[in-house]
Amino acid sequence: MSPVRVTFRRTVGMARGLYTTALALAGFLAAAAALLAFNLDAAEGSRVRLVPLWTVSVSPVLPLLSALLGMDVWSDERKTGRVELLLTAPVRERDLVLGKFLGVWAMSSGAVILAHLLSSAVLRLYAPTLLEGVSVFSFLPGVFALMLQGALWSAVAVAASACFRNAAASACATIAVLVAVPRALWCALMAWAPQGRPSFGEMPLDAHAFDLAAGAVSTAVLVTYAVLTVGALLFASKTIAALRCESRGASGLRFSTRFALVLSALLAVQLIALAYRLDVTLDVPIGGDGFRFSPRTRTVLASSQGSLTITAFMDRKDARFREVGHFLRALAAEAEAQCGLRIDLQHVDPTLDLGAASRLIGAGAEKDSLVFERDGRIECLRLADGYGERNCISLIERMTVPFQRSNVYWTTGHGEASFSDVGNEGVSRIARELEWSGYGNRTLDLADESGTVSNDCALVVIAGARNDFSEVEMNRLNAYLNGPGGKGMGGRLLVLLDSDQFTGMQSLLAKWEIRPMAKALAGVATQTGTDVIVRDFSADHAVSAPFAGQQVILERPVVFERLGGNGPRFSPLLGAGGACLAAAVESGEEVKDLAFRPTRIIAVGDSGFVRNWSLANDGNANRDFFLNCVKYLSGRDALTQSGAETDLLVSKMDRSDRARFVVVSAIALPFFVFVVMALAIRRRRSR
Amino acid sequence: MFEVRNIAFSYGAQPVLRDVSFVVSPGETVSIVGDNGAGKTTLLKILATLMTQDAGSIRVNGQDAVHYPLRYRSQLGYLQENPSLYEDMTVKGYLKYRAQLKGELDKRIRRRVGEAAEICHITDILMQPIRKLSFGLKKRVALADAMLLRPRVLLLDDVLAGLDRSMREAAGTIVSTVAAFSSVIVTGHEITDLVKWSTRILVLRNGVISATIPAAGMDAAATVSRVDQALRGGGL
Repeated sequence: MSPVRVTFRRTVGMARGLYTTALALAGFLAAAAALLAFNLDAAEGSRVRLVPLWTVSVSPVLPLLSALLGMDVWSDERKTGRVELLLTAPVRERDLVLGKFLGVWAMSSGAVILAHLLSSAVLRLYAPTLLEGVSVFSFLPGVFALMLQGALWSAVAVAASACFRNAAASACATIAVLVAVPRALWCALMAWAPQGRPSFGEMPLDAHAFDLAAGAVSTAVLVTYAVLTVGALLFASKTIAALRCESRGASGLRFSTRFALVLSALLAVQLIALAYRLDVTLDVPIGGDGFRFSPRTRTVLASSQGSLTITAFMDRKDARFREVGHFLRALAAEAEAQCGLRIDLQHVDPTLDLGAASRLIGAGAEKDSLVFERDGRIECLRLADGYGERNCISLIERMTVPFQRSNVYWTTGHGEASFSDVGNEGVSRIARELEWSGYGNRTLDLADESGTVSNDCALVVIAGARNDFSEVEMNRLNAYLNGPGGKGMGGRLLVLLDSDQFTGMQSLLAKWEIRPMAKALAGVATQTGTDVIVRDFSADHAVSAPFAGQQVILERPVVFERLGGNGPRFSPLLGAGGACLAAAVESGEEVKDLAFRPTRIIAVGDSGFVRNWSLANDGNANRDFFLNCVKYLSGRDALTQSGAETDLLVSKMDRSDRARFVVVSAIALPFFVFVVMALAIRRRRSR
Repeated sequence: MFEVRNIAFSYGAQPVLRDVSFVVSPGETVSIVGDNGAGKTTLLKILATLMTQDAGSIRVNGQDAVHYPLRYRSQLGYLQENPSLYEDMTVKGYLKYRAQLKGELDKRIRRRVGEAAEICHITDILMQPIRKLSFGLKKRVALADAMLLRPRVLLLDDVLAGLDRSMREAAGTIVSTVAAFSSVIVTGHEITDLVKWSTRILVLRNGVISATIPAAGMDAAATVSRVDQALRGGGL
């Protein structure tokens, strides 16, 4: 048996018998799970993939585990004098160091795999939607990234242990080298040049883990980790060998050892510099974690013909470049699979492809955007506005599907949310999406002299009015809804009500047999305690049917009830806790007379759900529900399908689920692991 | 043949060993005695390659310890003054681990462990955890480790320290047995015991071998008396 293997087995065997190993492992699992819960919360609704998110949750804790596992592999041998037994054996120091390193690395890798298994199990229990389409193999890049980092951390821990007789000093040195110094330097750099953060990107150690887990394999990063790992092992080996050179006569040996270390350090720097100069980044396709496009996207792609060019007009070094590339390639592949539109992809680097860049800028395109070109027509989607499925497909729809522009009229003068307000309380985001979907946004002042609703109005939106409508205004609104002559060609109204802010709408809605009520809901799922997670979508109505399995978040919603009568057709759309939180009413039954246009009203019990602060989170279907309401009311029934983004990180965990997730993954399971290991150690010791 | 030629060693400016030379033939047991701080342990550590001498050479059958360290160490057995073992292991597990580390073939390990255990009289404690053993038994286990692969040179540092009379006698028996296949070098202060097993006694005084006293076939009491005299600085 080779000495490396013998030393490896001894290192692992010794660690298995220590309570500190059990404690370190349990602490690692708890910290990693807590970070994952925190990161999941922060990334809810974003485009971050689960595997990179899990990887960057484990990555910061891994150096601490390596430091604890490796702290006594040499320091304990030196302290007890057993190092003499090792040094008198016919074994090279490098074999001993390698064996101990492999032992620490194997244990830290085992801990990473255990963390993966436990995280997967708990996620499957509390957030199964996150694991939809994510196979076991999807985590391999993340595990590989952590093992690569773990190799370097373990090598540094072994090297630090070789320098000290005291295990605690060794652990402190390792943590200082791996955690404190790099992060302190990074913080200092950020404090010194805060404006440089975008160009510097993320903290390199975190960024490496994230990129590798996302399938972006940089040869320079691989070489750097390999060189530094070998360097740390060489240092440990020479440190152990130097234990024989304490006499004055061995000064020559000491000098040659130090000289060899300095030369090795210089060689390592050269190698790393060369690796970065020749860096090649490979995009490794990660199976099972691909894009899943919505029915709406597939419909638009299938119903469009001809070709379209999408140009990624951005710097290749931009942090979003790989993510954008992944998405566009998936979109083009989906278009090809639908046998409809043909999408050609291009990339123009504004700093390198100067000719193409000047052409795009001349055509009105902006840097850091996606440029859609078709038959000489150019549309530009800024990356800052979101480059996901919904926005891209809206643009493609505008460029490929012929449409008539319809106008949405937003009432004003009663404290309503304004589509020109870009602040948190405004609705500029949803208004911009309406424009991308072919709608124009107009204001409607019913109190104005000419306050009648224009003929080009597709629908009127009352978005969270806070002051009462006057009688004149109500009359004008009623006249619009009833249509000329009181019947036929009826109007369309979307009312977003806030609790206790009915502003005279009761009487209007009562005519259409809807009664709003401010009522506290009990036993409903919530994220913050004041909001309501709505998952009950009526399958009988075109507006709500496509949202099965998704969720809409309403803040203190108003409850609607149907008044008795045989008037307009009443359809509940959203429900929670047995209450109706959004409803649609239509005048009369379906008619075959094309000249007749039924009045349609949709009332939603919250206006906050489409305000800008709410739409900052893409993880819910708020935006799509609103868009569907608008499309249904304006008569675009054919396009009323779920346009929800499907490449987002949506855990669908409410507050109690999150609490259970943290308790189980960060407390109960680590404690269980500790108890099992402690019992095994106790049993072994009592034998 | 184990040859030590002109070994010199110093800690900083403080010389510890000066011009130490001796030869030990196979089957010979040489004891090195001296006062505390005379340099016995330092000398043995140099012979075990745990320290590097300032000058001089060490050879086993012509192979130099500096130029061929692995070959040299493969012919070496070393017992520390205060043996520190892996407390979490059983005696058998420890000896097996040490045999593996020293490069013994797997198929021979069981036999080697059995032999060493028999010679050191630890057969009945092979399955016991080391942490439960007394100091004397631990020393026997360490001795079994040192002689595990029948080394050509066996270095025993203060082998009798801390042992009671019966243990010392047992250790003497073991060393005598081992001497049949090894050149044994022992250090210690227990001159009466050492004289019984040794073929020669080297007296180390102020870093120099001040006297070489033959012990084999000599009257033990007279030899002890001569060693005492040499230690006090008297001429021989």
